[in-house]
Amino acid sequence: MLRHTTLFLGYELRATLRNPVWPLFGLMQPVLYLLLFAPLVANTTAGGTMGDTLRMFTPGVMMMIALFGSLFVGFGMINEIRNGYLERLAVSAVWRPAIVLGRTLRDMIVLVVQALLVIALATLMGMRASLPGLALMLVLMAATGLLASGLSYGMALALRDENGMSQIMQFFAMPLILLTGIMLPMSLAPDWMRAVAQFNPLYHAVEAGRALFDGDFSDGSIPLAFGLILVLSAISLRWSVSSMKRLAG
Amino acid sequence: MIIEAHDLRKTFTTRRGRDSPREVEAVKGVDLSVAEGEIFAFLGPNGAGKTTTIRMLATLVTPTSGTARVAGHDVVTEAARVREKIGYVGQGGGVDENSPGREGLVLAARIGGMSRARARARSEELLAAFDLAELADRPVRTLSGGQKRRFALAVGLVNHPPLFFLDEPTTGLDPQNRANLWDEVRSLRERGTSVLLTTHYLEEADALCDRLVIIDHGRVVAEGTPAELKKEVAGDVVTLRLDRAAEARALLGAEPYVREVREEEDVLRAYLDDGEHNLPALLRALEAGGLPIRSISLDRATLDDVFLRHTGRSLRDAN
Repeated sequence: MLRHTTLFLGYELRATLRNPVWPLFGLMQPVLYLLLFAPLVANTTAGGTMGDTLRMFTPGVMMMIALFGSLFVGFGMINEIRNGYLERLAVSAVWRPAIVLGRTLRDMIVLVVQALLVIALATLMGMRASLPGLALMLVLMAATGLLASGLSYGMALALRDENGMSQIMQFFAMPLILLTGIMLPMSLAPDWMRAVAQFNPLYHAVEAGRALFDGDFSDGSIPLAFGLILVLSAISLRWSVSSMKRLAG
Repeated sequence: MIIEAHDLRKTFTTRRGRDSPREVEAVKGVDLSVAEGEIFAFLGPNGAGKTTTIRMLATLVTPTSGTARVAGHDVVTEAARVREKIGYVGQGGGVDENSPGREGLVLAARIGGMSRARARARSEELLAAFDLAELADRPVRTLSGGQKRRFALAVGLVNHPPLFFLDEPTTGLDPQNRANLWDEVRSLRERGTSVLLTTHYLEEADALCDRLVIIDHGRVVAEGTPAELKKEVAGDVVTLRLDRAAEARALLGAEPYVREVREEEDVLRAYLDDGEHNLPALLRALEAGGLPIRSISLDRATLDDVFLRHTGRSLRDAN
C-alpha cells in the first residue's frame, strides 16, 4: 500500500521536475500580488509599515496558492480517464487509493515549495514573522491544498467533463477568495458579509495564518482553522479515493 | 481452460436528460471457454457487446448476472487475484501521455512487484523487443499512433501475464503496423501466453486467431476455428450479378452441388464445395436456363459468409 503510494509519488514528482516551468509559472500570480498589491494595501492602512502589511497579507497569498494551485489539478485526470490510462491502472495489481494519494502528496510538496519561495520573497521585502508560526502555517496550507486537490480529483472522476468542471471551480473559487479577506480585511465588510465569511473555512485559515505570523499562538482562530481544514480535507480525500476505487469494477 | 464464462449478462441503465431511465442489454448471455495458449477472438460489428464482454472478463465491469472464471479465479469475488494474472490493453491504449514511455513501463513493472533493478531490466527487454528503445525517452504524446500502441502492448506485458486482453488492437493502424502487431500477437502464443482479442476485421480474425466466436446483438451466434466455421458454410462461394436474380436463385438452388444460395441486393451468392470443379456445371445450368450473366467470380468462403449465414447480413454492412 505504502509502496504503491511512494511509487506514484516518485513518478509524478519526476513528471513535475521534467517541466518545472509550470509550477513556477503558477507562482507568478501570487508573486505579482505581493509585489503590486501589498504596497497598495500598505498605503491605505494608516501608520502601517510594509513589514506589518506583509505579515497580514502573506498568509492570504499562501492560501490563494493552496486553493488555485490545487483546485485545477484534476483537469489532467479527465484526459487520463478518456485515454484509458486510469482504466489500465485499475486492472493492474495496484492498490487503487495509491493512484490518488501519490498525486495528492505531489501536489502538497509542490505547494510547500511554492510557499517557501513566497515567504522568502516577503522576507526580502521586509516581513518579519514568527518562525514556529511560519512552520505551522505551512502545515495548515498543505492541508488546505489537500482539501482542494481532493475536491478536484473527486470532481474530475465524478464529472469527467472539463467544461463543467472549470465552470464549477470558477463559481466556487471567487467568493471563497473574496470572503477570506485576502484582498481587503474583512473588518471593512458590512455585518452580513462578515457573518457569511464565518462559514468560509478559508476565512478562518487566513485569520489563523495572521495570528501565527504574529506569533500569537493563543488566538482562538488557530485551533478552529486546523480543526475545520483537517476535517474537511479528510472528507475530500476520502471522496476522491472512493471515487477512484469505484472507477471500474 | 484459462477463461470459462457461463451466461454472462450486462444491462446498462442509461439516463438522458429528463427521459425516464432506459435499460440497454449490452450482453445477453455469453458462454465461453478459452484454452490456455490460444489466440481467441470476438468477431462482431461495432456495438455487438464485444467490448463489454472483454471488460467483464478483465474485471472492469461487473456482470449483471452469470459467472466467469479467469485464470482460475472468479472475476467478481476474486477480482484482485484475476488482475495479477492478466494484461489489458483497451481501445484508448492507456499509456500516460505526459511521461516518457520508459517511465511508464518501469512504474507498471514496479506496481507488479518487481525491484527497481528488475523493473529496469524488464523494461529494456520489452523496449528492445518492440523496437522502442530510441523513442523511450520522449513523452508518449509526441509519438505516432502505431508507436503508442506498441508502448501500450509493452506495458500490458511487463509483468508476464499468462493471459492478455486486447480490445480492438489494430483499429486505426495502417496496414504495415497492423501486420507488425499480428506478428507480435503470434509471438506471444509461441511463448505460451493466451490472448483474447476483439475485432471487427474479418481478415484479422481469420489470419490471427485459433478459435473465435461471432458476437452479434449481445449473443454468441457461432463458435469454432476459422476453418470449421467456413466449412459449415461451404468451401467456396460463387458471386453472380445477373438480371433475373430470383429465377437464377431457384435454378441454382436445385443443383445438387450447391449447398445454399443467398440473394443480396443485386448480388447472388451460391455456396458450394470444390468450386473449381463445379463452376463449369454451374455455368452450363445458367446457360440452359437462358439466364445471361453480367459478372461472376469464384472465391474461397470467408468469415463474412459465416457472419451472413448466422445473422442474415454482411459484417461489412453491419459496421
